[in-house]
Amino acid sequence: MAQDKLLKIHNLHKSYGDLEIFKGLTLSMDRGDRLVIIGPSGGGKSTLLRIVMGLEDIVGGDIYMDGKPYILRDGAKTKIDRKLQARVGMVFQHYTLFPHLDILRNLTLAPVKTRGMSRAEAEEKAMGLLTRFGLDAKAHAYPSQLSGGQKQRVAIARALMLDPDLLLFDEVTSALDPELVAEVEAVMMELAEAGMPMMIVTHDMHFARNIASRVVFAAGGVVVEDGPPEQVLDAPQVARTREFVERVFAKKR
Amino acid sequence: MSYDLQFFYVWQNLDKLGQGLVVSLELTGLANLIGLTLGFGVALLLRAKSALLRAPAAAMVEVFRCTPVLVQVVWFFYCVPILFNLFIDPMVMGVLALGVNLAAFNAEGYRAAIQSVPREQYDACAALGLTGWTRIRHVILPHALRAALPVLMTNGITIFQQSALVALVAIPDLMYAGKMLATETYRPIETYTVVAAIYFAISAPVSLIVQRIEARFDRVQA
Repeated sequence: MAQDKLLKIHNLHKSYGDLEIFKGLTLSMDRGDRLVIIGPSGGGKSTLLRIVMGLEDIVGGDIYMDGKPYILRDGAKTKIDRKLQARVGMVFQHYTLFPHLDILRNLTLAPVKTRGMSRAEAEEKAMGLLTRFGLDAKAHAYPSQLSGGQKQRVAIARALMLDPDLLLFDEVTSALDPELVAEVEAVMMELAEAGMPMMIVTHDMHFARNIASRVVFAAGGVVVEDGPPEQVLDAPQVARTREFVERVFAKKR
Repeated sequence: MSYDLQFFYVWQNLDKLGQGLVVSLELTGLANLIGLTLGFGVALLLRAKSALLRAPAAAMVEVFRCTPVLVQVVWFFYCVPILFNLFIDPMVMGVLALGVNLAAFNAEGYRAAIQSVPREQYDACAALGLTGWTRIRHVILPHALRAALPVLMTNGITIFQQSALVALVAIPDLMYAGKMLATETYRPIETYTVVAAIYFAISAPVSLIVQRIEARFDRVQA
């Protein structure tokens, strides 16, 4: 159905032991959205992405994709719809490339093994992506021979091989040397312009302002404020958001 | 001390030591075959969810790691035939004793290597839909085997040296051949020096290769 949200998180609860991370978090996103999630460290921003990727158990609540149940709490177990999970892609802080495979094989492994794509077809698609990201010369290099920025661009290309409907970015520039951040952010901007729905956790407020269609301030286990970047970052409506944003920008200057 | 070193008799009988060396290498090769395969199986048991599978594997590893190899070899030779009424070729016994010992040590090497695969690799697999056997076969195992390789090679060459212990139970290996030659020629110093040199000449290059591999891994990790 056209009016169904791409992703709908309803009343999400999550805790690690006694530590409550989410206390009924509710959030939804449309196909055209690029959501940047900000909030205090330890507030569960990365955990939220990991949950949406299906990497974490939840304590309560449910998540829908295109109106279909994706992740549910069913009695004592978290139930994840694997078909819907396959439509989500994720890029991690530490690249997580497969060190024993060359770049081309890093890209082709999943489509060949899980999507039944032929090797030739997968390689053609991989070379297309690598060329687009300026990495075609590195196709037969190993991850250890690449810079952090190059590795992260490969990781993005690897996620794109599976044509995700939603791409999650978990602090993808946090481990990079400052001079390498720009090349990764440029790739993300390019994807944004091509209309890729994204959910992004970043500490780079400048980049957040540039790429976000919506900024979500999450704290205390719930969404405190949710709106366009001009609102949340420049003129927050909620005192708690204002306090956080002021502190973050003060640190930068 | 005036001892006149005479290597002549040893050189003259080098072929006997050579025959012994062949037996030692056979013992080592076959023991490694057992150690690499059985060790892997035991490592999988060590990581099993069920304590019923884990406990015997852990017990086996501890028994073999915490008793002297010499005692294990002697035990295999004298106790197994009596306890199980099983009389088999001494060579087979030697291979079994060394092989099972090696399996226990290799199991620990495999287990540590599997454990060393970063959690992020599992996350990456999940995010790409790689699960079950595909994940093990294409990501976890290649990762773990690389990490295990130096340990497996070190254990493997250690067994070559430990194999000298089977001379005690009359398997005609290099050590046994040396013992015979020393008695025959009344030249123990010369004979055992040459025997030691042969063990060294085979072990040292392997140890060097292991160092090379480890240095390479360190570079790759960085």
